[in-house]
Amino acid sequence: MKQNIKKLGYFLFAIFIVLIFYLTYLTFQKGEELATHPQNRRLAAKEAGIIRGTIYDRQGVKLAETRWSGQAGQRVYYTVGEVSPFAQIIGYVSERYGSSGLEAAYSKELLGLTEADAVKNLLDKILSRTPRGNDLVLTLDATLQSKALALLGNRRGAVVALDPRTGAILAMVSAPAFNSNAIKDDKVWQQLNQDTDNAPLLNRATQGAYPPGSVLKLVTGTAILANQAEAPNNINCPGYVIIDGNKITDNQVHGQVDFIKALAVSCNTYFAQEGVKLGWPNLLRTFEQFGLNQKADLEIPVRAGTFAEKERRNKSQLAETSFGQGDTLLSPLQMALACAAIANEGIIMKPYLVKELRNPEGEVIRVTESTPWLTATTPEIAQLITQGMVAAVEWGTGTAAAIKGIKVAGKTGTAETKNEQDQSSAPHAWFVGFAPADNPQVVVAVIVEKGGSGSRVAAPIAREVMAAALYGQ
Amino acid sequence: MLVNLRKEERSLLYYITAFLAVGVLVLYLGQPEFNTAYELALSSGYKLPFWWFVVLLSIGTMTAFWLVSVYWRVAGFKCDPYLMPITASLTALGLIFLFRLRPQYAERQFAWLLLGLLALVMVTTLLRKMDWLADYKYIYVAAGVILLVLPIFFGREQYGARSWLDLGILQIQPSEFVKLLLVTFLASFLAENRRVLSTGNDQILGISIPGIREYGPLVVMWGISLLILVFQKDLGTALIYFCTFLAMVYAATARMFYVFVGMLLFFFGGTVAYHIFSHVQARVDIWLNPWAYISDKGYQIVQSLFAIGSGGLFGSGLGQGLPGLIPAVHTDFIFSAIVEELGLLGGCAVLVLYMCFIFRGLMIALSCRDDFSALLATGFTALMGLQTFIIIAGVIKLLPMTGVTLPFISYGGSSLVANFVLLGLLLNISHEVNGGNETEY
Repeated sequence: MKQNIKKLGYFLFAIFIVLIFYLTYLTFQKGEELATHPQNRRLAAKEAGIIRGTIYDRQGVKLAETRWSGQAGQRVYYTVGEVSPFAQIIGYVSERYGSSGLEAAYSKELLGLTEADAVKNLLDKILSRTPRGNDLVLTLDATLQSKALALLGNRRGAVVALDPRTGAILAMVSAPAFNSNAIKDDKVWQQLNQDTDNAPLLNRATQGAYPPGSVLKLVTGTAILANQAEAPNNINCPGYVIIDGNKITDNQVHGQVDFIKALAVSCNTYFAQEGVKLGWPNLLRTFEQFGLNQKADLEIPVRAGTFAEKERRNKSQLAETSFGQGDTLLSPLQMALACAAIANEGIIMKPYLVKELRNPEGEVIRVTESTPWLTATTPEIAQLITQGMVAAVEWGTGTAAAIKGIKVAGKTGTAETKNEQDQSSAPHAWFVGFAPADNPQVVVAVIVEKGGSGSRVAAPIAREVMAAALYGQ
Repeated sequence: MLVNLRKEERSLLYYITAFLAVGVLVLYLGQPEFNTAYELALSSGYKLPFWWFVVLLSIGTMTAFWLVSVYWRVAGFKCDPYLMPITASLTALGLIFLFRLRPQYAERQFAWLLLGLLALVMVTTLLRKMDWLADYKYIYVAAGVILLVLPIFFGREQYGARSWLDLGILQIQPSEFVKLLLVTFLASFLAENRRVLSTGNDQILGISIPGIREYGPLVVMWGISLLILVFQKDLGTALIYFCTFLAMVYAATARMFYVFVGMLLFFFGGTVAYHIFSHVQARVDIWLNPWAYISDKGYQIVQSLFAIGSGGLFGSGLGQGLPGLIPAVHTDFIFSAIVEELGLLGGCAVLVLYMCFIFRGLMIALSCRDDFSALLATGFTALMGLQTFIIIAGVIKLLPMTGVTLPFISYGGSSLVANFVLLGLLLNISHEVNGGNETEY
């Protein structure tokens, strides 16, 4: 019987060893997954005990701050009246709905949970201080942003303003915005989510998918100049062009048109004919050089541009794509970056929203260096396109964007939105431009959804934004 | 020799006192709310600073253990010097976690602990000579069955199991005490019949097959386990009874036949129960995939896994984790709280303590001179080991969750008192082994 008891003992030890092994497996193999599982409230509870860092604009205006009441913090966002101009860009952070925008992208930094913060966190724990996260300083300008939002009024649309020399984004507005401070209210949150017509949570500036219309002619123009020794300078525009048996009507009869005039008066005939001559591969290569098919790395959600699918790439689709219609869908950010390439001698600087990261003591711990992103074209071609854009503002379609005493370069766009379901749909009003034309400091892209013509609706907004950016007001 | 045993025991108790003191100190440093007033749950209206409450209870606990040791010395009790300190350390750990998780339960647990130690003292005083216990085995069966049946008619359902008896001021769980009767009965039955049971008549495939009358006890035991399962809905207790039974039968007869048939019967019973009883089915479904039931019935086990996963190797530190997110963390799931805050290392330390208990228990069984005592010691030790295994395997999702207490650590009055009675009986055997009864009389 002693032998049996011994064997039983070995068995009991064996099952305890199994427990130890399984526990070790849980800790080392599954531990990370379990600890960071979204349903595991430990991480959220940890966050609740940290004072989230403040987000400043480039001038030091507080765009988001946590007001600490000893036990819990309340996140307060910059608002003008009842709306937050930065609603979709800065986003929100909420225990119930998670987080979005820069709040989500910079969660670790704002909470001070990066590896660099480990020592400070340990000290906080020992001294039982409430830990405080790092601060963000954005490239955005609260005044410019508010102004751009006000200019859009109650229309849907977006405005992007950036510095072409650095890639720093100065304003990024998506209208309608919402009140970021009010989403705590369940009803408001539901309303925001159910409003599919206005989609207030969508950041139209980076995620909007719009036909670019004539503003794309900047890119098509670059393609034409890049593939031919000299752009054709005597094309006759009878007010329409027939491609593959389809008649494409132009906005008016332009008569004899050269390259500069084609851009200035936005002649569809010129670009349709020349685009067809270029062919799909050349045109798409230029699109790629402008980064239209990719997502700029902006840390907030960005949409890549889309063009006609391979099987739909016929001649008439090519003609329409050349002047920004057809299946082409791009975001305002992409058009702003394309315009920035023209403004910055063909180089697109990597766009960025966060200028620097500061620790709670106010010391700068990380600065974003501006770096070139893409080489879209040559300085010579950029110069020619600029001439066309200056002409557009001086005597062409974009005169409404002219600023007294400053040479402005711009391009209007009126993108058709008519389709089988909606024959009377108003066009999107577009404008992209930069100023001063000979020393560009600011690039602006404006879209007003179904707002009408670019020259009447979008150009005046762009003028105000450019002026505000240059003069500070 | 006699003096040395108790000296050894007391010196171990000093280490455990230091352990408890460090635990309480860590809690104190980590929780500023320790200075708030605490209103006693057992005597309503009386308030004292929480910090004092914790210190008083801790001192009380260690003094009580120390007094037991001193009493044994005076009374000339010659039991194993390690078992009591092992249980004291488990109890101390349980108290630390109850202070941290549910202070009201720490208070109740302390009261139960005093009762348990009183029971320990009484058992080790009155039942020192245990051989006569073997003569009344059928009384145990009768008492056991009555105790088991009582809650079915007069019981209260709690945590999905109908195994509580409400006695007004306190609730007891008779099945905790029945397991002692069960082991005693089986030890005397097996000691008497083990030779008959271990010789088979025929052999099939090298395994000897006993005659029909030898199936008797197996089938009866299986029946009793099913009875608990069906009427009390107490899966864990049924499993513990049945496994302890198999362990003792194996120890007595060395026949794998019983173990195999027992397991077959168990799986048969289990499968039938799975299809008939929704609560059994739910337990198994949750075990197979708790993530599918994360918001309702799988919530508890998922929270337990979150706690264990968040602990890591060293744990979040005592008082720094969030084990309170697990429902019923102070009873069945206290092990998850320990792993979250003390880490994998803390969890393993607890397992090693239980292994020490098993080791000492089986060493006593191995040095017994008669079959009854040996089987009794084996049974008690196996019972302790299996119960620990079943609950820990349940909270870490190695086995379906069954809802039994973690001996000496979990909150649970009946369980604590019953486990101290078990300890007393085991120590009585040890006393006998060490020749305590010979020198005295």
